[in-house]
Amino acid sequence: MNKRRFKDSTFNVMTFISIISVTFLLGMIFWFVFSQGIGLLNFRLLTSDNQAVNYVGAFSSDNYPEFMDPSLESDVHFIERYGIGIAERRDLAGNTVIEFVYVDPDSPFTDIALLNGGSLSVTSGMTLNRVAFIERPAAQRSQGIMNMVSALSDEGNTIRELSFTRPGGGIRASLVSTLYLIGLTLVIVLPFGIMSGLYFSEFAKNNRLTRITRNFIEMLSGIPSIVFGLIGLSVLIPFTVRTTPATGGNLIAGALTLSAILLPIVIRTTEEGFNNVPRPYREASLALGANRTQTSLFIVIPGALSSILTTTFLAIGRIIGESAALIFVLGTAVRDRVGVFDRSPSLAVHIWALMTREPPNIELASTIAVIILIVVLILNLSIKLLVRLLHRGRY
Amino acid sequence: MDNIYEIKNLSVHYGAFQALDNIEMTILKNKVTALIGPSGCGKSTFLRCLNRMNDLIDNAVVTGDIRFKDDTKDIAKVNPIELRKKVGMVFQKPNPFPMSIYENVAYGPKRQGEKDKKKLDEIVIRSLKQAALYDEVKDDLKKPALSLSGGQQQRLCIARALALEPEVLLMDEPTSALDPIATQRIEDLIAELKKHYTIIIVTHSMQQAARISDYTAFFYMGELREFDTTNRIFTNPSLKQTEDYVTGRFG
Repeated sequence: MNKRRFKDSTFNVMTFISIISVTFLLGMIFWFVFSQGIGLLNFRLLTSDNQAVNYVGAFSSDNYPEFMDPSLESDVHFIERYGIGIAERRDLAGNTVIEFVYVDPDSPFTDIALLNGGSLSVTSGMTLNRVAFIERPAAQRSQGIMNMVSALSDEGNTIRELSFTRPGGGIRASLVSTLYLIGLTLVIVLPFGIMSGLYFSEFAKNNRLTRITRNFIEMLSGIPSIVFGLIGLSVLIPFTVRTTPATGGNLIAGALTLSAILLPIVIRTTEEGFNNVPRPYREASLALGANRTQTSLFIVIPGALSSILTTTFLAIGRIIGESAALIFVLGTAVRDRVGVFDRSPSLAVHIWALMTREPPNIELASTIAVIILIVVLILNLSIKLLVRLLHRGRY
Repeated sequence: MDNIYEIKNLSVHYGAFQALDNIEMTILKNKVTALIGPSGCGKSTFLRCLNRMNDLIDNAVVTGDIRFKDDTKDIAKVNPIELRKKVGMVFQKPNPFPMSIYENVAYGPKRQGEKDKKKLDEIVIRSLKQAALYDEVKDDLKKPALSLSGGQQQRLCIARALALEPEVLLMDEPTSALDPIATQRIEDLIAELKKHYTIIIVTHSMQQAARISDYTAFFYMGELREFDTTNRIFTNPSLKQTEDYVTGRFG
């Protein structure tokens, strides 16, 4: 009796230890990612381009009126001479910059003649890098905001040349291309995967060929994704270049590569879902004069709906998280143009790109990780909601 | 009197196992025929031959000759879908689909291509009335079928089979999962339905067979031992074995 109690309590303690350590580990991951990444998380990061654009120019005219102080925030320095408010801020990538916070509509900064022709109107959000004066030393961003403010406010200084940046560091392109990848991949993988799963569950005879095919598919799901990336690079990119307007790596090839990775998983899990539809339902349907196709369509697929949606969710998770295979197919150069025939990395590849830079940008990488977590959470909740809606009236 | 089924030399094998051996039987129209016998005697297998549900079992081999009504062909050569439209089936456990009551009953006609909403409404109401379920569910036909009680679910399954206006109803122990009151209702329903339909029912309850059937077939070890009017089987069977079984001395 005592021996049994000892065995039972050991077993119970082990289960407690496991659940506590798992919860702790997951908590640590969340805590790390959030504490690192939350600082840079804002809406502008999601909507801005990645590439910064630099401009060099000078005022078009020297006639401008007097400006009134528009009463700005306390850390913003208003320069009365030019009607601008500048402040020290951190850009999307975490660097310290001097940012325009306020630009008066009549300010000379709204009409800059650029060196390479054309004109530019400075808007808030742009950053000031360097101001060169006639016969006076230039003021640099790296010298700090106070130096810049006093140089600009000095009545004896005449501006010769200005250098601005429209800041980059945004992840819009990566976010959009991730969504593209999810859409394209699901469109390819779900019909094929579900139909194949249905075939194995409903139509395949239990013979040697079926068993071999099934084992083969199972084996495919164990292949590391980087191998699929190689196939994408050597087979799918040439294929898409030949058949579509794409000229190099592109999102379609990326989606095809991901589909190859996901197919075995989708087939296996949907097949299991179909197998779990109770046999009496099938028999009842057939006994009512429905044929096998109708039974599959009206009984088996609706009965396995929740497992199909779970599979979809797992697939989305894989698509968002996959980086190894996509590095080959999409490249790691973050771009701002997104299109199905273009190449631009997904969020996971973006993280990879940030971490292989020198020095690695852990903060921004964590921010992207937070965004990935949020996207996954939203998709998860919406799928659960969808399942509930679709099951309404069934049980 | 008309025959609905004429069965000759019917044998069924599951792989090496012989489930039915050389059955000869004639089933009459608009009568209730009960199939009795101990578990594993082949009565369910026999029932499933009559609408070719054994086709669905991978290693089942059915040989012999079954004629349905005046057909000149063995039913093995008829399209099973056409056959199953005329031969409805009710299973041991109530198995309504996880859909609304309405969708359950309309399932058969819809799969046969009936799209007219008005006609479907008519069929659903007629079938539910025939299965004596309509009064209990008429307020909410959109209710999930699985929210009904076990007895109601089984009557829904009968309604679902009736929606195709079959000529025969095969019932495989339809009351074995139900309580006595629900069983009583199903038995009353069978008595009512036999005016228009031929009913073949597998049952483990001697009392049920005696109460509701006109003919009784006694199966044992894959053979049809005795087939006669229910009255004869229960009062004066020709075999000792039959008498032992119906009086509960074995099986």
